[in-house]
Amino acid sequence: MDSFSSPSPGSSQQMSAQELKNKLQSQLALEYAQQFLETVRGKCFEKCITKPGSSLSGSESSCISRCVDRYIEATGIISKTLFGGSQH
Amino acid sequence: MDFSKLDSSEMQQFFSQEQQLAMVNEMVSKLTDACWDKCITGTPGNKFSSSESACLSNCAQRYIEMSVLIMKKFQSMQ
Repeated sequence: MDSFSSPSPGSSQQMSAQELKNKLQSQLALEYAQQFLETVRGKCFEKCITKPGSSLSGSESSCISRCVDRYIEATGIISKTLFGGSQH
Repeated sequence: MDFSKLDSSEMQQFFSQEQQLAMVNEMVSKLTDACWDKCITGTPGNKFSSSESACLSNCAQRYIEMSVLIMKKFQSMQ
């Protein structure tokens, strides 16, 4: 395995492979999360905000909360059906 | 930044793994999106009814079967 020097703060970059991998994985995880949130927003707006009022009602708020939970659960069901085990 | 590390076999393997994970994520996302629309017709409740969760599971399986069917048909047309 290669040996890389770790960067000291402020030094010009020489990132280790592991650091690079970690950084890439963090970035990817963030992207996936953003994408997921975008989808959930769309679905729950559709389901819960049927007639937009001048403020979010209590029933709309609780609908949204349930909707998010259900969508996460649905993702788990699909994931498990396709790939088995428990994915997150 | 030193980019020479990027074509090491270690990084290649990493990219290959991440690519697979991305494809898995894409598939799950797409199917959850489509199956949610098909199966969750009412207002979301505190839990799924048994028919809702069965529908979701069935939906994913039927999609896979459909994909196989389409592939076979397409191949028979070549």
